[in-house]
Amino acid sequence: MAMLTAKDFATATPSWWCPGCGDYGVLSALKSALAELGKQPHEVAFVSGIGCSGKISGYLHSYAFHGVHGRALPVATAVKLANRDLTVIAAGGDGDGYAIGAGHFVHAVRRNPDITYIVMDNQTYGLTKGQSSPTSANGYVASVSPNGNPDNPINGLALALAAGASFVARGFSAQPKQLVALIKAAIEHRGFSIVEVMSPCVTYNKVNTYAWFKEHVADASAQDGYAPEDRVAAFAALVREGPIPLGILFQEQKPTFEERAGLPAQPVAHVDLHAGRAALASLQAAYR
Amino acid sequence: MILNSLEVMFGGQAGDGSLTTGDLIAGVFKRMGLEVYTYKDFPSRIRGGHTNYVIRAGERANLGMADAVDALVAFDLEAVQAHIDEMRPGGFVVFDSTDEAIPDELRRGDVTWYEIPLAKIAKEDLGLALVRNTISLGVLGALVGMDPGIVRADVRAVYRRKGDKVVDVNLRAVDAGELYVREHFAGRPSGYGLVASDDGDRLIMMGNDAIAYGALAAGCRFMAGYPITPATDILEWMSKEMPRFGGVVVQAEDELAAITMTLGAAFTGVRAMTATSGPGQALMTEAIGLAGVLEIPVVVVECARAGPSTGMPTKTEQSNLNHLIYGGHGEIPRVVIAPGTVAESFELAVAAFNLAERWQLPVFLLTEQALCQSKATLPPFDLDAVRIDRGSLIDDGEVTFGEYKRFAFTGDGVSPRVIPGVPGGMHLAAGSEHNDAGVITENARNRSRMMEKRMHKLDAMRDELPKAVLHGVADADLAVVGYGANTGPIREAVERLANGGILTRFLQLRTLWPFPDEVIRDFVRGAQHVFVVENNYTGQLERLIRSVVGPLDALHGVRKYDGRPFRPIEIIEPIRRIAAVGEPAEII
Repeated sequence: MAMLTAKDFATATPSWWCPGCGDYGVLSALKSALAELGKQPHEVAFVSGIGCSGKISGYLHSYAFHGVHGRALPVATAVKLANRDLTVIAAGGDGDGYAIGAGHFVHAVRRNPDITYIVMDNQTYGLTKGQSSPTSANGYVASVSPNGNPDNPINGLALALAAGASFVARGFSAQPKQLVALIKAAIEHRGFSIVEVMSPCVTYNKVNTYAWFKEHVADASAQDGYAPEDRVAAFAALVREGPIPLGILFQEQKPTFEERAGLPAQPVAHVDLHAGRAALASLQAAYR
Repeated sequence: MILNSLEVMFGGQAGDGSLTTGDLIAGVFKRMGLEVYTYKDFPSRIRGGHTNYVIRAGERANLGMADAVDALVAFDLEAVQAHIDEMRPGGFVVFDSTDEAIPDELRRGDVTWYEIPLAKIAKEDLGLALVRNTISLGVLGALVGMDPGIVRADVRAVYRRKGDKVVDVNLRAVDAGELYVREHFAGRPSGYGLVASDDGDRLIMMGNDAIAYGALAAGCRFMAGYPITPATDILEWMSKEMPRFGGVVVQAEDELAAITMTLGAAFTGVRAMTATSGPGQALMTEAIGLAGVLEIPVVVVECARAGPSTGMPTKTEQSNLNHLIYGGHGEIPRVVIAPGTVAESFELAVAAFNLAERWQLPVFLLTEQALCQSKATLPPFDLDAVRIDRGSLIDDGEVTFGEYKRFAFTGDGVSPRVIPGVPGGMHLAAGSEHNDAGVITENARNRSRMMEKRMHKLDAMRDELPKAVLHGVADADLAVVGYGANTGPIREAVERLANGGILTRFLQLRTLWPFPDEVIRDFVRGAQHVFVVENNYTGQLERLIRSVVGPLDALHGVRKYDGRPFRPIEIIEPIRRIAAVGEPAEII
């Protein structure tokens, strides 16, 4: 099949996002990454969560699944197990992944299925009109925290590292070139890859704006001798006070869930459903 | 002497090995040609706590519990205290008298007592305290006439993998038990006897194993589950057997993941299932709604236990019916089917997958602890009767993008289903309301049409649903309705009432949703009294029946909610009393 362009991964559905939303940058980078990797839309299964970011599955020409809040990762894991030939990508917001879906997040990471997870982090709940999110700063003023958010923010990528993630990266939706490269590397990585994208909410988050991010982000590779194969160094970079590190922060190769679970080479979805009379009869014989 | 009718209860502390010996006894009864039903009444803990294992043997298939216990094998006083009142007059107790004695107030005069220092013999004569259970097997065998050859062959088979020494000491334990009876109780027969006949070609299997086996035969190749009593057996069975058939099993982090993984795999074209019990079912509720609106075929096995909340995890109940039928926000088409026997557990597991894929909706296979964790003897399954019908599925070739519509409006509500990987079939599957092409929309007209398309499946599918089974005398004045694990006890009650001249008809429902309105209306027509037998407090099935039959004074609930299955007498007596017929029944 012919090589496609980013446009070939667009749907005809008009976007619901506000003008200027960071999520446009994520969608655009994802489409470019898929085109540059030579993927075809029917080979891509795209699972999204609920919230503004979860709408993204409606805008990517692919097999798209827009399910229940917080459960994108179990769905995506199972899609991959059902058909290992598919390119499986999950996407959702900081609320979807780190609040209601936090339980699944760490378990998807530790299983290490060969899927890519894009977390679109805007540090607020947009679709419910501006509440604190699990990544909102302590003291962040929002509709249900009028005196300032009493909670401390979660560090999703450090959590992923602690759970044994094999690919951890962070991008910024206003730096498209880098983001495309990160998403491509994530998709090509064999195992669970997470790309957290700083994706500003222009309507409700008046603190973590584009301008704020531009001042606060820095490429991890700018740091002398940064080596993304060192889990401890990556952890230090993520928890240290200072600029928000961007780029591939950690990567290692280890067996995927599909390999460890002994999946057949052929997609499970295409396995013959007839177990065969002899095999079934021998199972029954054990009960005589 | 009572021949070929015996209910043995093995009672002691959890973890003392009585389950292994219970299984051994069940196997010996089966090989002696008898029909067997077992019931595990164990505490929700691993060691300690009173546990008992009931093994019923008789000449009639599809048994449940008997009215009373014939033989109580009690390893401690607690077992006697807990169960002496459940004993049939004329029954007997084998009691381990090593450390405890029977106080006078428990010493019922209408049962025979065999007090034997089982633990002492195990330790002093055989050098291994663990073989106390096996000595009791020898004692029981000698008292009721178990075939000594079969006993020994089964002991060998069970302990073979533990080595010759273990086999040898267990065989000597059987000898010791038999010898003790000969030497001490020659003049005190138990009053029970067994006559061996041909085992024939039969199986002895637990309901959960039959479900798992049925699912595998039906082509299930993906299971995700979270361990929960009494459903875990299915996850364990599948983990052991499914991979070599090209399938995959995932132990999920919780039931939310288990059901959404099941959806993900089914969306991708694999026959997929999960299995759970009440608490897990509650967590799965939201995703079941998603399966309904996304028209994804999933099979959810619900192994019901006593609720609410943690309830009694190892006890049986039928209090989940409302939840399966009504649970969730919004309205979806769903199917609830319930097997009444181990054989039907297999058949309905196969049916569940075909219904799910033919009609693209969630199917609940509802069973209960008293059936799914009970063993029964049955003929081999008819593998030639297994059909795999995947319905309207496009899993190869290609479709034309723009023309193909995943949620196309059709006559029966079922749209051709494409799976990821097929060129041209790209679409959005959204839990948000969507149009025929999958595009999210809140358009009023589309909403109404989509609701009608999905819900119409329940009407269109009626002829394919597992049919209710009529037992007893079709035109009898007295009618009984029930389902699931109660099928055995109700059938026995119906037969025994008939023996006493009281004729009844029994409708065993196998499809509970969509509710078989017409079948129920036809069935109750002309009945003087209708009895609805169920294991819950509020009468969930009775209310469903009331909703379709209109005012009916003579509708009576026969309910039990103590976590234990019905004994036939508990069905016979209410029917006899309310209908004011017959004389009090004999305890069997």
